Amino acid sequence: MPSNAFQFSPADAAAFSRKVARISGQNIQECYQCRRCTAGCPAVQDEGNFSPDMLIRLVNLGDINAAINNEMVWKCVTCYTCGTRCPNNIHTSRIADTLKKMVKESGVEPLKPNIAYFHSSFLESGVRWGRVNEAEFMGVYEMKNILHLVKQKKFKEIYDEIIQLSKFVWRVLKQGRMHFGFLTSKGHKEIKRLKRQHQTSNKV
Amino acid sequence: MDIAYYPGCSLKQSSALYDLQTKKVFSKLDINLKEIEDWNCCGATSASKIDDFLSIAMPARNIGIAESAGFSEIVIPCSACYAKTLVAKEKLNNDPELKSEINSGFAKKVKGSLKVSTILEVLLAFIESGALSNKLEKKYEGLKPVCYYGCMMTRFAYDVPSPDDVENPQGMEKVLKKIGLHPVDWNFKTVCCGASASINDAGVSFALMAKIMKDAVARGANCFVVTCPMCQMNLDAYQDEFCRQNNITQRLPVFFITELLGLALGMGVKDLQIDRHFVESTSILNLQDKVVKERDTNE
Ligand code: SF4
Ligand code: SF4
Repeated sequence: MPSNAFQFSPADAAAFSRKVARISGQNIQECYQCRRCTAGCPAVQDEGNFSPDMLIRLVNLGDINAAINNEMVWKCVTCYTCGTRCPNNIHTSRIADTLKKMVKESGVEPLKPNIAYFHSSFLESGVRWGRVNEAEFMGVYEMKNILHLVKQKKFKEIYDEIIQLSKFVWRVLKQGRMHFGFLTSKGHKEIKRLKRQHQTSNKV
Repeated sequence: MDIAYYPGCSLKQSSALYDLQTKKVFSKLDINLKEIEDWNCCGATSASKIDDFLSIAMPARNIGIAESAGFSEIVIPCSACYAKTLVAKEKLNNDPELKSEINSGFAKKVKGSLKVSTILEVLLAFIESGALSNKLEKKYEGLKPVCYYGCMMTRFAYDVPSPDDVENPQGMEKVLKKIGLHPVDWNFKTVCCGASASINDAGVSFALMAKIMKDAVARGANCFVVTCPMCQMNLDAYQDEFCRQNNITQRLPVFFITELLGLALGMGVKDLQIDRHFVESTSILNLQDKVVKERDTNE
């Protein structure tokens, strides 16, 4: 990681930025830092020091650590505003998604573990049963989330999480918006088989 | 007219009312929706964030099912399901290798010619045919809606043709005008509500929804109209909370387009299950009989 301008290595930087560009399918080298993306990004709030243009800058500078440990990677809500407005057609969400995969591969802990748990729980439920079961996937997500907080001894957060969840569940029950049946599709078999086949053929 | 119908997981669970309303309204309009058999989850935003292959493979299976059953068009009311299915179709058409890989795993193969439609596209085509005005039984008094489209109906992280203007869509306005409503113009039509961040990053999502709410209120609107079940759930279920946090005193019902259409077609609040909203939504509904029926028919 370059800590100052004299240590900056264009070759190293280019290798990383090309890798991200290839996986994400975005021409990030074309970014000229106009910040139009950031102007419309809903994840950029008053506090916090992250934005789409900064994330792209970090990648183009080859700063791997700063890029994969950036809040933008997790805070991006995939609204696609940046990409539809970018004069160079660069979708920061795709870069954030690419960096999520790199976080997973590198084995470092995600900066926002609960957001990572949320998406993995959702997708696993969809693949497991062929359809997502809201109550089941929310249960799995909250379990993972709370277990992680227990390990970190963050008891205040656990309390807040449980209160927030119970309030929501109560409202959903009261309005009859909770579903008690179980959804399945036989498609889960085909999908799992295809995914395994894809993984093995991409390994060789 | 037969159109394939993909409800998706949300319309079979927390937003089951939207599934029911869509079926009722379409049947009243004599559009036959045929739910495709054994459809699977599209993977939604979660797949597109963490698994590129599944985010194409999952909706692809549904496309194959619809095409094998002989349909040329599929309607997908949920914006996330719609977007993922549309993008999967386009990506497969642009990548024959991926298409054959995916087809090798599915009994029902993707051809790639299916038209993937939003609920608005189908409704607008129907309105275009001129058959709506005869079917209208009621008109509204005092309803001032803002149309909220959210993200997934017009923006995609892949180059696909958008069904409406990306920044200033008009589809909902066109439908509502046909039932005698005058939607209020505003700035937050396509601003994100935070989607699943309401669960996993509530601070961000609540701040976004408060901004959306403030503009709607400032414009003098007294309700939202949406087509996406995620937008509806977020703005409705969390409204009391994000409004209290942001000192907003007003509360606005969040209607599905199928609710306002259904009522105008003569259906009742209970038939459409509008009483299952989180924010009280029925007292604002003041419907009058459409007296000038004969004149309408002659129009
Ligand atoms: S809008 Fe595009 S070119 Fe401008 S800073 Fe953002 S990514 Fe770079
Ligand atoms: S897609 Fe992500 S980075 Fe882009 S504007 Fe939306 S939240 Fe911001």
